[in-house]
Amino acid sequence: MKQSRKTALLLASPWILTFLIFWAIPLVHSLIIGFTDYQLLKGSEWIGLANYKELLSDQSFLDSLSNTFIFVLGTIPVTTIISLGLALLVNRNFKGRALFRSAYFLPSITSMVVIALIFANLYERGGYVATLAAMIGFTPPEHGFLFDSSTALYSIMAMDVWMSVGYYMLIFLAGLKAIPDELYEAAEIAGASRIRQFFSITLPLLQPVALFILVINSIKSFQVFIEIFVMTSGKFETSTIVYFIYETGLRTDFRLGYASAAAYLLFLIIGGFSLIQFALMRRKQPLW
Amino acid sequence: MSRRIAFISLALFLMASTAIGQTKVTWWQFWTDPNIRPTIQAIVDEFEKQNPDIEVELTDLTWSNGHEKIVIAFSTGRGPDVVELGSDWIAQFAESGHLADLGEFVSSDSADFQGWGMATYNEKIYARPWFLGTRVMYVNRTLLTRAGYDNDFVPYTLDHFKEVAYKIDSLSNKIYGFGSNTAEKHRLYKKFLPFFWSMDAQLFTDDGKYCIISSVQAVDALIYYKELHDSTGYVGTQRQIEDAFLDGKIGFVQSGDWLLKRIELEKRNIDFVITNVPGLKYPGYSFKGGEFLAVNANSENKVAAKKLIRFITSPENQIKFCKANYSANPSSKEAQKDPYFAENENLQAFIRQIRLAVHPPVDPDWVHIENIIEEAIEDALFGQGLPATALRDAQIKITNLKKK
Repeated sequence: MKQSRKTALLLASPWILTFLIFWAIPLVHSLIIGFTDYQLLKGSEWIGLANYKELLSDQSFLDSLSNTFIFVLGTIPVTTIISLGLALLVNRNFKGRALFRSAYFLPSITSMVVIALIFANLYERGGYVATLAAMIGFTPPEHGFLFDSSTALYSIMAMDVWMSVGYYMLIFLAGLKAIPDELYEAAEIAGASRIRQFFSITLPLLQPVALFILVINSIKSFQVFIEIFVMTSGKFETSTIVYFIYETGLRTDFRLGYASAAAYLLFLIIGGFSLIQFALMRRKQPLW
Repeated sequence: MSRRIAFISLALFLMASTAIGQTKVTWWQFWTDPNIRPTIQAIVDEFEKQNPDIEVELTDLTWSNGHEKIVIAFSTGRGPDVVELGSDWIAQFAESGHLADLGEFVSSDSADFQGWGMATYNEKIYARPWFLGTRVMYVNRTLLTRAGYDNDFVPYTLDHFKEVAYKIDSLSNKIYGFGSNTAEKHRLYKKFLPFFWSMDAQLFTDDGKYCIISSVQAVDALIYYKELHDSTGYVGTQRQIEDAFLDGKIGFVQSGDWLLKRIELEKRNIDFVITNVPGLKYPGYSFKGGEFLAVNANSENKVAAKKLIRFITSPENQIKFCKANYSANPSSKEAQKDPYFAENENLQAFIRQIRLAVHPPVDPDWVHIENIIEEAIEDALFGQGLPATALRDAQIKITNLKKK
């Protein structure tokens, strides 16, 4: 028994070591340096909660926080609704169904950097989006969608929704497949309309899947970074918390202590959100 | 058999003793472009040939994360012996004690080079200028003619410049007078400061103690720049602006020697002329920066490192590098006299401009000051801020920063 335990430990040791070196130790280390004024090239001193206090009065951080919330609250409902709609569509039997499924899913397996560069081009002055907007009577921003504070963040959010829906569609599709056909058959015999079936069977039974999607999508959305980095570099009121952490810790002044404190605040926010969502998942009563 | 073993042992011993006798110098540099990298390697090979006791280990950095890598390497005590630094990074590394004082080393030939001001911090010289950089005004001559000016005409003064930009802009909806940078980090302020300096504004008082960025001249400069931006500006990233210029859509574009390189390599068919930045009295002042070579303060191979730096920055190697990179401003005065520069009118425009170029203060806080200045310009150009209030706020922030 002892021998087999040793062997198991030995076999698991590469993973354990990787976990410790690249995850656990950096996590604890960053928590500790969050309480110091650690700055690369300058060293560090213990300053307690000063970084956290400074963050709460730092306008750049608060702006980034606000932009992150706009991003999260703006993209998640839209992504969820569209991906559910797409899942319902491609769940039906029609010719070319596989092609549509693949087409919707394709953006989510494409590199974010590539997509961001393509969209930056589409959003340019005189680009396709501007031309399309002009055709439907909307005056596009003079210098392009990404060079205007009133449209930059929303343009990135729209791209993010376009990119994510295929992935969540697939998860919804798996949820739809798990709903027994007998329920729909019984409902049809009882004379329930399609809409009634959707609200009384599909939606309640998809609740665990929907909540799972909400959890993973909100974690992903709170950590939005690549799009911002590639498309606007945080300009035109698009800076988010992770971009703020990157700028503070690795670009402008290498204040790793301050950046770590910001990262832990983000961790608390995501943790809080996730706890609420998990609590909802554990409810036995359906939410809708 | 034993003879063979003895022979192999002797060979190994000789190889080992050669390696032991050699000094290894590490050099971190940024030139990875396939057009330039072979020239860098050739310079290193030649150095090793002339100095068989020194081996150079080259490491390539990228502009996107090279600065971070240098900071991390110095912080962890694993910095290279020789490092290439942009002019605005020198103060940061000098202040933290990571760069060796090169005062004595460069004193013998400092008069033969330009750019020492950018390498001097607290009256000590921390780097040797390699090549310098400035921005000039590229003018589309076809648009100039279409706007009713002679083909060889260039605007001399700021008033004249604005007048021509407006005329070019009015040619068509798809033609713009001036390429105006969007809110691009580390770029926007470099485009505004030439107008700022050319209108006699200053960032700090002469003794460097007080920030005076909201002086009357400074506000006038931002008002002028905003008018150009609002009325005639093609707003985009530097790349987008240069693309539009090469496509014949913009009359005036501020750019560096890299645009010359692009025109040459891409064989672009554009009728253009390079002129100095306009000023109150022609010519105006442009922005000055450059690439420098510094020695790690903790290097155990300082003598060899300095030898390498002297070799790389020698006039003949600067010429080799500039030819490969289309760089217009070698730091060596002797190199500037080479026919390659002297007979090329475009490169001469850069050499004239660098004499009338200003570099930002050598200050470890420059990265923050730069950020504040950029925010003020962004506020005036893209936000709701008035130039006067944007600059006043910037002055308050910079003053508070300096107090800290």
